[in-house]
Amino acid sequence: MSGPTDMSIAGLGPHGERAVPADQIQLTESDAAKARARRFSVAVVLHTTTSDWSKQELAGIAATLGHYSAAVVEVVDCNFDVELQIAALTRLARRPVDAIISIPIGNARVASAHRNLTQSGCKLVLLDNAPTGMLPGTDYASVVSTDNFGLGESCASMLSAHIPANGAAGILGYGIDFFATHEREIAFRKWMSLHRPDITLVRERFAELDGAGQAALAMVDKTPGLSGIFAVWDVPAMKAVRALAERGREVPITTVDLGNDVALEMARHGMIKGVGAQLPYDQGSAAARVTLAALLGLQVPPWVALAGREVRPFDVIEAYQVIWHMPAPKVIIDSVRATTVIQN
Amino acid sequence: MRTVGRPRTVDAAQSSLALLLNLVRTETATTRQELERHSELGRAVVADRLTTMIDLGLLREGELGQATGGRAPRQMRFRQDAGSLLVSAIDQNSIALGVADLNGQMLVEHHEAARLDAGPEAILERLATIFDWLLKETEKPAPWGIGLALPGPIEKPAAVFGTVPVLQGMQSWQGFPFLERLSMRYGVPIFARSGVQTMTMGEAKAGGGRGLSDIIYVKLGRSITAGLISEGRLHRGAQGAAGMIGHSRVGDELLGAVAGADALAREGMAAAEDGRSPYLAQVLLRQGEVSVVDIGHAAQLGDLFCVELLGRCGRMVGEALAPLTNLINPALIVIGGLVAESGGDSLLAGIREAVYRQSHPMVSRDLQIMRSQMGASAGLVGAAQVVVEELFSSSTLQGWIGHGTPLRHPDFQRGLERYKRTLALEMAPSGQTAP
Repeated sequence: MSGPTDMSIAGLGPHGERAVPADQIQLTESDAAKARARRFSVAVVLHTTTSDWSKQELAGIAATLGHYSAAVVEVVDCNFDVELQIAALTRLARRPVDAIISIPIGNARVASAHRNLTQSGCKLVLLDNAPTGMLPGTDYASVVSTDNFGLGESCASMLSAHIPANGAAGILGYGIDFFATHEREIAFRKWMSLHRPDITLVRERFAELDGAGQAALAMVDKTPGLSGIFAVWDVPAMKAVRALAERGREVPITTVDLGNDVALEMARHGMIKGVGAQLPYDQGSAAARVTLAALLGLQVPPWVALAGREVRPFDVIEAYQVIWHMPAPKVIIDSVRATTVIQN
Repeated sequence: MRTVGRPRTVDAAQSSLALLLNLVRTETATTRQELERHSELGRAVVADRLTTMIDLGLLREGELGQATGGRAPRQMRFRQDAGSLLVSAIDQNSIALGVADLNGQMLVEHHEAARLDAGPEAILERLATIFDWLLKETEKPAPWGIGLALPGPIEKPAAVFGTVPVLQGMQSWQGFPFLERLSMRYGVPIFARSGVQTMTMGEAKAGGGRGLSDIIYVKLGRSITAGLISEGRLHRGAQGAAGMIGHSRVGDELLGAVAGADALAREGMAAAEDGRSPYLAQVLLRQGEVSVVDIGHAAQLGDLFCVELLGRCGRMVGEALAPLTNLINPALIVIGGLVAESGGDSLLAGIREAVYRQSHPMVSRDLQIMRSQMGASAGLVGAAQVVVEELFSSSTLQGWIGHGTPLRHPDFQRGLERYKRTLALEMAPSGQTAP
């Protein structure tokens, strides 16, 4: 089922694979019966469990696994800490779980802990990324990811409307070696170079989230004519919004993911002009189906991808429902109404 | 390569440095005692050479090794982070790029869609943009070399750092100094191979062929080609064009023309139109076209036409592989490329059936036939391996080890000067004309 603002999948997988769309991964009646009979147990390892994205991802995983009588026996919050993740994976390799769904934090450092898990006989399904050097089949069953390349392109095209001819745009990039944010930035740059070669691109990076606001200010100071910013996800985008507002500056921003703050800022017709959103509930659900298929010994594609959804101020309420599987908070609805009344 | 007896010539220092570096790099020998034994060099010479290479930044002292009585020996380690390698695999519809360390280990990679017929200037610009970005943003050391995988055969250059024209079959690429331009842009040597040859090396280094010395890799895409590693070495052939198995005959036709991705898509399209494949008929209705990916997916869902089509494709490929299998006696055949990625079990079953039926029992006794798990990463890993083997080959290494970096190899510097002159000449006559 696809709506008018659904995007197609633009990017290739971690090994150049062509994406298999997540909705093509379905269990047949007989697969479902087999899965239910075997009552699998699955553990989930996430970078954090406190973000909106994580909560929805978990909800999608748990609901879908539950539907097929598979139990989520443990959820690990790694708190963005590589060492914590390695310790958790090492411990889980000795536990009697059938499969693990994990989002690798960082690149090379967590690869061998993930590998060991597969070698211990556990099925491993990765979210978002495979660390460089890990291979599907041998080291993991599949990667289930949003099309981050498409998200970056989408943010570029939405920002482009706010940049005058020969203007300048800034990229608020993440200073950590992370596949998903790399892909977004590469795609943003590629779209701009193809469609708006007149725009000068500048870039500041932040390694810690708390540095994002400062980085945005630095960018504005160094480039007086800066007409827009792309932030690689919503949390740093909102740090930038607050820092710029304090300085009395108004800069159009596009970013990835429709967090609550970003949704509200859009509803108010504030600085956030567009969002390329992931669908974490759907991604979690797809990851659960892939996990079950792998546990049943079915052939699973190495890269399963979900297209993102473009969100603009006028459809923030509807988008919220699609992305978060719940109605938008009242404050967002009221803001949209208020601004609509003013405009009318 | 001198491996026995003490070097006596004037380049003795260079050759002993090169010998010791490669022993440490390949972890054949890592303690001073082992190095003395393997190199047959005296203790003082080994100590002196190791100090030199630590000063040059090529080696470092590592952890303590196993004690064999007395103090535990300090192990020498190769500084794989002394430089980096830029690698790219260019295909008809996609490009892959990555940065590897000096052991050929991939540090970061990126894949994206690209069209080869956009012309060399556009591809060159895209490679440079992403390489610049990767080097800067992921803070990798400065590059020492570039490894490139390109579709179609690549001729062998006359000298180690020589370049050859690439993709001359495509009009927009004819006469374009692609390798020279890329090499000049980064000021590093460049080494090119055909895509299937680098993928073969990648599979041998990090894929299903790890640890095996005799493997065949078959790329089933729009064309059908093969790569061969025999007794641990890549076989390139007299002109560098080994592996064109798509040119074998199947009846009156060429294998590539009846079993390649385009042929399969054509057959799938026909079956969609006349209703022999209900699944493909739906795909056609929805997308307006049928690709080999759809055929693979249909086969997985049990569409009989597609299962049969991929099985037949597999048998044709298997029949071309059987004589090679008898000739080479490989331990493993890896099947990669778009058709293999999509084709799944029916394709593999067809290949196995034909190969096993037509091979000598001893040849097929332990033979494994598997699907590649590396995808396009095989090309990147292989391209990095090509650069490693070239830069650290004993004769090349002796030319630069005294300087600490291959960028100061006299032959390479002369080559770079030559490119500069040639490119300057090429630019000069056309000049800038009024728009």
